[in-house]
Order: sequence, then structure tokens, then C-alpha cells
Amino acid sequence: MASSPFKSASEPAVLEKLITDFFAKSVHVILESRSSARNYNAEPFNSSPSSSPSLNIRPGEKRINLALRDCPTALESFDMWRQSNLEPLVLDIVLDRRKSIRNANCASPGGIFVRNLSSGRDEFGRLNRSETIVERWIVQYESQSISQPGRESSYRGSKKGSRATYHSSEFQIMYKKAYRKIMVLLRSLYVMVRLLPTFKLFRDLNASGQVHPYILSHRISSIAEPFSREEDALMSQHDFGQLEFSFGKLSIFVAYLKTLEDLSSGPSTPISTEFIMDYVGSPVVDPLKRLLSLPTAGSAPSHASFSRQHSWSNDHEETPFSPTPSPTYSDSQALYHNLNPCLPPRYILPKNSTTLCSISCVSFAGNAKNISEYWPSPPFSPSSSSPSSPTHPYSAFSQSEGASVSIPLPWQKGSDGGQNQGLSPSPYYKSKREGRPSQVDTLRAQENTTSALKKFSPENKPQLKIESSRFMEFQTSMVPPKIESTGRELNSLRTPYSPPQISSRSSSKLSFMDEFDDSDFICPFAEDDEVSNSFRVESAVSNDCFAENLCPKKSMAIRRSPDAAVGELVWMLRSAPPLRLNNSNPLRSKQVFKDEVSSQKNLQGRIENTKEDDLNKVDGTLCLDITASDLFKSRTAADAFKELQTYKNIRELILKHGGS
Amino acid sequence: MNCEVCQLKELVLEPLEIREVLRCVLHTIVFHRALGLVRPKDVDCELFEITYVHCGDADLDKKIEEKIDQFMIWVEKHPNRKCQVSLSFYEVKNKQPTWFSNRIERLYWEQWHINLHVVTPKTHGKSHHSKVPVNSEEDVLKESSSRRAALEDSLREVLFHIIKFVNDKKDHIPPIPNNEVISFPYEISIPSSSDSSFGWHTDVLKRMLQTSHPSMLS
Repeated sequence: MASSPFKSASEPAVLEKLITDFFAKSVHVILESRSSARNYNAEPFNSSPSSSPSLNIRPGEKRINLALRDCPTALESFDMWRQSNLEPLVLDIVLDRRKSIRNANCASPGGIFVRNLSSGRDEFGRLNRSETIVERWIVQYESQSISQPGRESSYRGSKKGSRATYHSSEFQIMYKKAYRKIMVLLRSLYVMVRLLPTFKLFRDLNASGQVHPYILSHRISSIAEPFSREEDALMSQHDFGQLEFSFGKLSIFVAYLKTLEDLSSGPSTPISTEFIMDYVGSPVVDPLKRLLSLPTAGSAPSHASFSRQHSWSNDHEETPFSPTPSPTYSDSQALYHNLNPCLPPRYILPKNSTTLCSISCVSFAGNAKNISEYWPSPPFSPSSSSPSSPTHPYSAFSQSEGASVSIPLPWQKGSDGGQNQGLSPSPYYKSKREGRPSQVDTLRAQENTTSALKKFSPENKPQLKIESSRFMEFQTSMVPPKIESTGRELNSLRTPYSPPQISSRSSSKLSFMDEFDDSDFICPFAEDDEVSNSFRVESAVSNDCFAENLCPKKSMAIRRSPDAAVGELVWMLRSAPPLRLNNSNPLRSKQVFKDEVSSQKNLQGRIENTKEDDLNKVDGTLCLDITASDLFKSRTAADAFKELQTYKNIRELILKHGGS
Repeated sequence: MNCEVCQLKELVLEPLEIREVLRCVLHTIVFHRALGLVRPKDVDCELFEITYVHCGDADLDKKIEEKIDQFMIWVEKHPNRKCQVSLSFYEVKNKQPTWFSNRIERLYWEQWHINLHVVTPKTHGKSHHSKVPVNSEEDVLKESSSRRAALEDSLREVLFHIIKFVNDKKDHIPPIPNNEVISFPYEISIPSSSDSSFGWHTDVLKRMLQTSHPSMLS
């Protein structure tokens, strides 16, 4: 045992020193295996097992016969706490992600930042700290000022040092006994610290050559913030018991997270945040998403088969629609269940938010599985439209806007995987904020469609084609998109993002409808006559020969459902302006085809043939490419009446066919 | 002085795991009773994800390894049996020699009983003879890994039990007699090389003859 402390110091001072040493040693034992490697002397601790301990022991290490490595952090922390005059010491071991996020973001390329998922937060998401209290140690001393009856010689002093009568021998016996108990307690503390899950995390984080997005830090205070019920449920506790002495009681208590293993196997490489330059928006507002679940005849039944390669899906080897979170940290969920303020292995998540980790668009696929274990699958609720603060550790790295989307085109066959064949299925957005649920977007699309389709002007002729196609597709998209795009959808619901620049190849028709009223709307086909002329929509029902005669150019075979074709034709018929004797009326001309009589006859014939043909096959072509020169035709009343009759016949056939 | 006895949870393990398990348990117990100036040394188990603590005393390490070797020999002779390794701390008191007692008296104030159930692992030869399909090897591996994981959990429980025991009972610890690292004399007992049960009883009788007080009061 150490040299007798009774030589020069008074008994109260001796006891106070013992208690102080106990606190200091406790903090030292804990922080030695919890603080980062830079905070302690990482030199080999036991350089010579056979050497005499007394030759290698520094003076400070002799306290309580437990020689430990230098830990400046522990000394500094204890010095700060010492000023509180031996109040309860609450030592929180915190898993902090803040610094790593900062470092990772600074290293990210490009000028586009990953939008923070929380509104009003830093674009890098650093304001939303992700802290998890993985352990809470409470070391306290309760002085016992009231001496037991009959023991006049017992020490009555408190830490304030009130002198009392005592026998030195009895005090020495009492002191030595307390000293032994304290030594045993500290040894059990030393062993316990290495048995808890955080020790493994500590070892992993301090592994050389590894870059982890998390660091272990600590906080010392005199007050223990209460945990929430959820946090309590995730914590295990261990009480080292109380050391009762005549002068007081010493106790150590620890609450720790049960599982931290997943976080310990975190990524060893720096986080590579990807910035998507050509963001095409979330599937939530992507009208093409609505086409996913439409029972298109002959189309691919599974949206998963339409794996369109988007610009944001460079590194997404995993299914882009997998709801697994983007691991910027491993796991470990398992790792860390959280306390107040954070839950380990999960990270802080706002109550009204769902984790953005479901977006697997970033290149953290390696830890997705680990993360999913601790991060519950987000509730894909389209009603959650409020943006969430990205306190989630993965939030800053998840691409809320850039999730890959597989959008099957209803007019395409399923084997092509949704490859772009003239009409890019990627959504088309203006560069403005849109963060509405898909349901709202659907309504807007419908409204825009109706209003847009009413515009008939020579200047909008290219748009007419687009409007018609949009309407067709809108008609076919009556079922909400499936889960494949849920993550992206969810992501977009939660983030008030600003859609990126318009993609020239995007041709989401419903999205076009949304933007139709916008004066700044630019039709991707407006400047490309060839594209517009080559845009053909085939209808299984429509045997309009208009397309054949008016659109001699290439026609694109587009599969359409018979309902969509019927609907379009019905709409055309209903919205067709009344026949006028003034043949120069351009509005009328738009409804007229170059050779109406012949085309109408052909249409009748085709309608009749359609009954026998497979409705899923595209038979004819319907060219909606209406040019101005074809619309201006002089007509007689007889022609008009013939045309009227033709229309009637067509209508009857269509209705009859549709009814069958 | 009372002799506190701690019966640890039985550990089911294979012969290859005995050494690691005994090292972990014995060093952990001794570390709690090494009240001299200790410079602890962390040791990682080779078979488990457990880090235990050495006192840093070379003599202790040597003694423990010798006992483990002896125990391994005994296990080879007595396979698939439940056995016990005991670690006892005592005080030495000189006593006047009498007809029935030795000069030196040992007062055991604490005993730790490490209960082991050594099982022989299944060999691959059996699977071949039984013409089991290839998947059986995978099943064996899975079973082995699960058993290893269960053993690790059990070993962790044992360590927690040790910590709890040493914190619950401290009053029986006698005064520290010296300034050595290992403050108290100790004894590691393994089953005798003779018949296990008879040999065990022999050790108990021998211990009883060395002390004037009953060795086990609880």
C-alpha cells in the first residue's frame, strides 16, 4: 500500500484526498478507454512485465495502486470538475459525428451541396448534430456527517473538514479498509470498462489508418439529464454498489447502450458525397411514377425491370429503390441506441421526420445492411410533407433529390427495361421548389392538363401534340407508383428541395402538365421539329389514318392501352370545336386532317379491325403532328356534313368498342 | 473470518477453448485480488471478442499456464465430462504443530469455482461414413459458430458475475500482508489425475487437514 497518509495531514484531509483520488482515478480509468487516441499516451503500457513496478511508476500513478497510462483529457476533465467541490460526477461518453461530417463535406467535389433535409439548416447539415450518448457514468460521494451512536471515536468529519476526536489506530484501520475497498472497486471498474460494447467501438475508431465518421467524446457535468423512456429502454445499467464508510458512501453507476457492434464496423473510407448536377427530381412529383403500376397491356409487369440509368445512379449497385438507409456510418444500429438527446445506435431524428437513410443513392452501400438494422424503415407516408431536420447521421449525405428512379413507360415493352426511346421518362421540373405529396401533384397535373389542353393556338401547335400525349399518359397512370420509388418519394416528401435544371431529355408528361401554365415553360420539343414530328402515339383503338397521311415521317410505335386511346379520342371529339363554314378558321383547322374523308373511312375500318386484333398491339399510327399548312383547307357544306357523319360513326364505334 | 464462495456459471466448451476460457476467468479474478501496485495489461482473447486484464505479474502468468496445461492433460484422459477448476485465496497463519495439523495453517477466505463442461466436437469422419450430403459440413460450421457465440456470451456473463461478486462482498477481504503485486496467496485446484470424483474429494480432505476451520461455510 502507498505510504501512510497520516504523517503530516489531518484525518479529514486524508479522507478528502482519498475521495478525490477515487474520483480522479475513476475518470482516468473510464476516459483511458473512451477518448480518442490522440488524447492519451498510446505508448506501450507494459513495456517490461518483469521490471519492478516501482522503477517505472510515476508519482501520480501510485494512487490507489493502479498505474494507468497518461490521459491528459482525463486530467483536464477532472480538473474542471474538481472545482465543483466533489459534487456528483456525471461522465457521458458521446458518439459524435459532427467533425466527420464537416471533413467529408469539405472534401466533396462540385459546387452543389447536398441539401440538408431540415429546413433552415446549414446546407451541409452540420447544424444538425448527431450525438449519441453511449455511456453515462455517475460517480458520487455522499458524506456522512452523523456518526453512529456509541462510536465516539469514529470520524465525524465531512469533506469540509470538521475535526473530531478519534484514535489514530482506529482511523488507520478504517482508512485502510476503505482503501482496500476502493482499490477493488476501481479494479472492477477497469475490467467493466473493457467488457462494455463501447470499448470495442473505441478500439475500432482508434484503429490506425482508418477514417471513421464518428468520434468518441465525453462530457462531464454535475447534473445528469434524464433519459426519455425510449432511451431508457435501450440502455442497460450496472451498479457497482456502494462503499459504505463511517465518513460517507462512494458509488459508481453506469448506463450503457446494449449493442454498439454495428457502428464499430463502420466504413473505413471517407464518405464520398456525390453531388448530382442534373438532378431530375423526386418521383413523388414525377408524373411518370404514376405510370408504374398501371396495368399496361404488354408492358413490363415489374417496375424493377426498368432500371434506367440515371445520372445519380452511378454507384448504385444496389437496388435504387431499396429502402435501406444510406450508410454513412455502419451501424451501427446496432451500434448505438440513443439517449437524451440521441438514441444509439440510431441517430437523432426529428419526430415528424422519417429517416432519409432509406435513400441509397450515395455510395455507402457497404453499410446499408448494418444501418438498416438500427434504423427503422421509414414510414412511407405521403402525408408527411414537412421537411425534417437532418439530425439523422445519414441525412447530410443522402441524396434527397437524386435518388435513382426506375420509371417504366406504359407505352414501352417490358423487356427494354425502360430505356429511353425517344421519350425520356425522367421527370421534367422547373428549378423551383416543389415539395408536395404525390397526391397533390396528381391533382395539379389533372388541372394543368385540362387547362393546358384548352389552349389551341398556332403558336402552341407543338404543345398540342405534347398535351395530347400527356393526357394519354395521364389517363393511363391511374395507380400510384409502387414501392420501388418509395424511398425517393419519401425523400422528396421530406425535403423542401429545389428541383434542378431541366433535363433536355426528360419528358415526363405529367410534369409537363404541371408546368404548362408557366410562362417560362420550355417545351423540350419546341425547337426540335424532327423530334416533334417523330412523336407518335399509337393507339390500339385509334385507327386514325391522320397520322399516316399527315405524318409521313417516322412514327414511333408506342404501346398504349385501349382505354387511353379511347379516352383520347373521346376527348378529342368532345373538345373539338364546332364545325364552321368559315374554312379559314385556324382553330377548326387544327381539328381537321389533311384528307378527312379518307382518313375517317380508314378510321372506321381500323376500329372495326381492332375488335379482332389484339388490343395490346399497336396497329396504326396516330400522328398528332399537325402543321399549319394542313389545317387550312377550304371546305364545302357537303364536306362538313360528311365529316360530321363520319365523326358520329367514329364515335359510335369507339363507344361500342370501349363498352365491349 | 467467513470464506466467501462463488460458483460461476457452467461453461460448455470444447478442448480447444479451455485455455482461452481459463485464462480469461482466472486472470480476471486474480486482478481483483491483486491489491498491490498493479500496471494492468489488456489482453484480447484469440477466440472471443473479449478483452480481459492481466496483472502484469510474470509469476502469476506462469502459474496459471502450468495449471491450465495440467488441466488439459486431465481433460484428454477424461473427455466429455463436467469438471471444476477452483481458485482459492487464503491467509497463512503459523500454528503450533499438533498431531492433526501442520505447522502452517491456511485460512481460506475466498473460493472461486469455475464449472466447465468439456465436450468433444463432432469429427468430419462421421459425416463421411454416414454419406451425409455436402450441406452437413456447412451445418456443422454454423453449429460451431453458434456454439462459439453462445460460449462467448456465457463467458461474458461469467465475467460480469465476477465483477458483481467482488463488489458485493468486500468485508471478508483480509488486510494486505505485503507490497507484492499479488497481495494474497492463492491456490489453483484442478481435478486430480486419478479418478475425478475421488480425486476431487481427496483435495478437499487435504485442504481440510491443513486448516482448523471448515473451508466452506456457505
